[in-house]
Formats: sequence, C-alpha cells, structure tokens
Amino acid sequence: MGKPTVGIFGLTGCAGDQLAILNCEDELLDLVAFIDIRDFLMGSSGNDTGCALDVALVEGAVLTERDAEMLRAIRQRSGLLVALGTCAVWGGVAALDRNADRPKLLKEIYGATGSAYDSLAARALHEVVKVDLRITGCPIEKDQFIAAIAGLLNGDLPVYPDYALCTECRMRENNCLLIERGEICCGPLTVAGCHARCPELRIACIGCRGPLDDGNPNSMLEMLEKKGVGRRQVEDKLRTFAPIGAGQ
Amino acid sequence: MSTIVIDHLARVEGHGGITVEMDGDAVKDVRFDVFEGARLLEGLVRGRRFDEIAPIVSRICSICSPAHSLTSLKATENALGVQVSPQTDFLRELLLRGESIQSHALHLFFLAVPDYLDRPSAIAVAAEHPAAVMLGLRLKRLGNLIQETIGGRAIHPVNAVPGGFGRVPRADQLIAIRGALIEAIPDAEAMLDLIASLPDAGFCHTPTAYAALYSPDSDRYYAGDQLMIVSNGDRATIPAADYRSLTNEKPVAHSHAKHSTFHDKPFMVGSLARLTVNPSRSTTASGKLKLAIPSDNPMDNNKAQAVELVNDLGLALDMVERLIHDGVKDEGCVPVTPRAGTGVGITEAPRGLLVHSYTYDDQGCVVAADVITPTAMNAASLEQHLRKTVEQSAERDEPTLKKKLQMIARAYDPCISCSVHLIRR
Repeated sequence: MGKPTVGIFGLTGCAGDQLAILNCEDELLDLVAFIDIRDFLMGSSGNDTGCALDVALVEGAVLTERDAEMLRAIRQRSGLLVALGTCAVWGGVAALDRNADRPKLLKEIYGATGSAYDSLAARALHEVVKVDLRITGCPIEKDQFIAAIAGLLNGDLPVYPDYALCTECRMRENNCLLIERGEICCGPLTVAGCHARCPELRIACIGCRGPLDDGNPNSMLEMLEKKGVGRRQVEDKLRTFAPIGAGQ
Repeated sequence: MSTIVIDHLARVEGHGGITVEMDGDAVKDVRFDVFEGARLLEGLVRGRRFDEIAPIVSRICSICSPAHSLTSLKATENALGVQVSPQTDFLRELLLRGESIQSHALHLFFLAVPDYLDRPSAIAVAAEHPAAVMLGLRLKRLGNLIQETIGGRAIHPVNAVPGGFGRVPRADQLIAIRGALIEAIPDAEAMLDLIASLPDAGFCHTPTAYAALYSPDSDRYYAGDQLMIVSNGDRATIPAADYRSLTNEKPVAHSHAKHSTFHDKPFMVGSLARLTVNPSRSTTASGKLKLAIPSDNPMDNNKAQAVELVNDLGLALDMVERLIHDGVKDEGCVPVTPRAGTGVGITEAPRGLLVHSYTYDDQGCVVAADVITPTAMNAASLEQHLRKTVEQSAERDEPTLKKKLQMIARAYDPCISCSVHLIRR
C-alpha cells in the first residue's frame, strides 16, 4: 500500500492551524515520509488540485460562498475530512455574533464598495458538510495533531479528552481563578487538551478550545452573579470562540 | 487585450491572487486581489472590555499574532493611561524578536527560497538539500521556543495582558533559550551563506518609498512612537498619533484590503523599509549579501530579512544574557482602572509596520477601533512593483512572467489574513 494522500486547506481564518503543522519542526520531515501531501497551497506551489485524497485537513470557518464551494469540493474528493482548529470546529472568533447586521457592518467598514463583497455569517464546517474528526484549539495543540496522524496511519481515530479544562488545571495544582479570585475563568465549560495553558500562567481561560459537550453554563452564571459579575459580561466571554447554539 | 491571472497565490499566508491586464505589450491594469472572507471583527469587538481585546484581535493572523497582541496592548494601555514596567517592555521586545526569528525563517526557507531553486516547496528542496531545510527548521524552532517561553504559546500568545505578564520566565527557561541561541551562532552564518548563494533576482527596479518605526539609537520592534517615511532621500517623521496622515486608506473594489498611500504615492513596509529608515542596522551581513541601502529592488526584502534574522539572533542573546544576569522579578501586573480615552500603538510586525488604535468608554469597553496591517499598507506598493516587473521583463512568455510576479509577491511576505482591514473607527 502506498502512503496515504493528504490535502491541507485553509478557509477564512488566521492560518494558525496550518502554521501549527509547520511548527512541528522536529516531526515534519518524518511526517512527510509517512504521508503524501498532494495539495497544500500555503506550503507548495506544485499542487494536484483535483486528485482523490485519503484525508483532508481543513482549517478556518466558512465565511464566503467561495469558502463553501471550496469545502464541498474538498468533501467530494476526500475519504476523511478533519476539521482543524476552533474556527473549523465551532466557527471561532468570526462567529462572535452571528446575528450581527452584516450589510451594515460591511458598509461601515468598507464604505459603498462593501456591499459588493461575498460575505456570509461564519459557519463551522459541520454546518456545511459531513465532518469525520474534529481537532479543536485556537490553535490546535501539536501533540493532538501528531496523535491524529499517527492514529489515522494505523486505521484509528485518536481519542481526545472529553472533560473540562479544570481537570487538567487541578492536576497541575493551580489555584482556582474562578472560585478563589472570582475571575471569569471559562475552564469549567471548556474542553481540556491544552494542559490549562492560561490558568497555569495565572490568566483566566477564555474558552479558545470551544465548549464541553455536557457543561453547565447556568451554574457558572449563577455562581458569578453571586460574586457580583453581570450575566451579560459572562455570556459575552463564553461565546467569544463558539456561538451559542452551534452544537455539533 | 490579454490577461495574466494567478488565480490563487501559493506559499503565502491567506487567500489572494494577481491579475494583470495587457494591451499588446503595454500593461493596462494590475490588481492584487484579496478574497479572504471579511471577519468584521471591528464591529464585533465593540462593547467588549479592555482585557478581552488583545486575544480577539491576535486572531487576525497567526504568524503575526504576537505583534497583533502586543500592539493592541500598547494602544489599550496608552488609552487607559497605564504605564508598564521597564521589565515588561523588555520582555515584550524579546517576544517580538522570537516572532521575527520564527517568521523570517519560515518565510525565507519555506516560502521564498524554493522559487530561487526552481522547486515547488521546501519539502521538494529537502530531497536534494536536506541540510538547508533542517537549518531552516532549527532557526524556526528557536523563534518558537522564545515565543512559547515568553508568550505562553507560539501562536496566539496568552501570557501578555494589560499591565504586564501573567507569569515571567523562570531562570531555567532563560538558560535553555540562551543555550539554544549560542548553538544557533553557526546556523546564522550558514543561513547567510545560503542566501548569498541564491541566483540573482534583479528583475524589477524602480525608486521606492519606505516607511517604518523609527528608533535612531537602538534596534527596536516594540518600543517607539515615531514613524518615518524615506522617499528619494527625503526623510519625514510622523508621530504615532497622526498615523492616519501616513496611511490615508482607501477601500478598493477588488480587495478587502484597503490601500495606503502617502501624498498619493505608494510606500513599502517590512524588513527592507526598517533597514532603510534605521541605517545603523545594516551590518557585515548586509555586505555579505551585497545588499545596498536604499534599494530599488523589492526582491531585496528577502536579503533584508536575512540581515534582520542575524540581528535578531544576536540581540535576543544579549537580551537573555541581561535577564539572566539581572534576574527577572515576579512583579505582577500594573493595575488597570477603566477610563474613557483613545490610544494608538505602533510596532514592527515581521512584515512591517502595524498600527492599532482604540477608543474606550468610561467602563473600559471599546467604542471604536482601528487596525492597519503591514500587508494592507503594502498593497499599493506591491501593485506598482508587479506592474514594473511585467514592463521591465525582456521575456514576454506567460510562464516566465507568472513566475516573476509570484516571486515579487512572495518577497513582500504578504499575510493576506492580515491585509483584510478588519477594524476601523
């Protein structure tokens, strides 16, 4: 059997998940020995843009009709489609407010030319096509990406944490920013996997990995309300990286 | 009438293309098309608190995320009247050195060099020149080590916050960086040898204006509040607060990136501009690469990045030595009290001048915001250089013209996610 064929694609976003792949400096040359990267616009000018792919890795959110068409074409030619990063999995920061008046904002930002732009409210990949694996994070964590590639090479899907960030944070014996300091720390509602990067640095989690499946936002809202933190402020924070109602 | 279209520019960050309309041998129109979706973060950050802004706007672009984060903090702290400690300024400067090392190594080895060797990618280059690619990877990793240690994460740093840092680096972490920087001394020389050995790429010559952060006495990416534009030997300085007199942006129909011009003339930002505005930064490395300043050749931006990479590595080592010698205090953050006001922050991102400006209300929430990115500032200048490239090319066949056009675009090291003007007043 030949090496699995892989495509790496970016829709609208910051390219941070493709950069996270390129940041695997120690693994990169081994990686390309095991997989055959056929289509990777950010990394190569010699791409096969039509071939069938065993795996497509797609980052970014769907923000334009062009994004949506590109994503459907990728789905068509790929065995497995992997959503890479919080934008692809949840919509990310571009989905901060999907009810915002886009024509009005376009006009404010770009003037009269703005109304001609191809511009849709941000969607996650699964809202447009079927997604086979989700690797969340803003950006993705290197170890989770390598685990996914290793798993796929062996015919497995990786298993990622499905518990709250707090679990990782407590295992590292950090003081609790939420309970002890009354800060709006999104840890209880955010999926683990980053080794609690922010609380480890005494900074409250902002939820960049996206929400936990079975989190209890009401409990957190009530708790912070008792400490005098307004509901609106907490809700704003909770929906920074994943819009409310974008369930998978 | 014929048209040269580069549908989707490869080996750059983001989504853009080039269209050149020809009338016989004459160039009628040149467009750098940006079709990155508009994320409209400008409207979306309004109403958000001062401590939420940097993490949101850092998502404008991954490669420049430390610059976006720190420029945002600089503007916010100016608006709220927060004076951070000298140690915080120093660590922020070091973080931007790490970013520059990572970004320049990525651009030179992975995006730009394959063109000179007629290869589609660094992976293809690795088949024949594995040592060159390994060298690039080592330098890139070193930049990431600095970003990871000081910023808490290589992409979208988390550790820099209004008033300071969450945690300052430990001595053992600084010693590890110092070790890696000392190991990289021969790598810097090898990198210069490689860049010096590349075939000449002097196919576009035209007088060019350059703009950068001006720091006359020192080499700084973070500190400073004067812009300087150099054009035809004339030098003009502009205080940060008046940045709009430099950028004077105009929306254009084919692009989500607004175009910047100074007195209606395009200007270039980035490594070559920094060396032009701050001549003391040209060193023996410039001589080795035969880089003459001022340059009339935009391809020289690649050489200028190599010169900066050497400077960055040397400066980062000096800075880390000083931190180890003096010790780093766990001083906590300067407290921030919300107040109404406007503040501007300017810094140098790896690909050029970056401006953020915010207006806050008395609760410390954003009322208005403005972000002007280097790639947006460069768009008009890039179009001018693309035009000259076609006009000056002796070869008229489309494959050769396309190759030259792409090399010019890549020499600018464009960050197309950045170029989308996301935020404004």
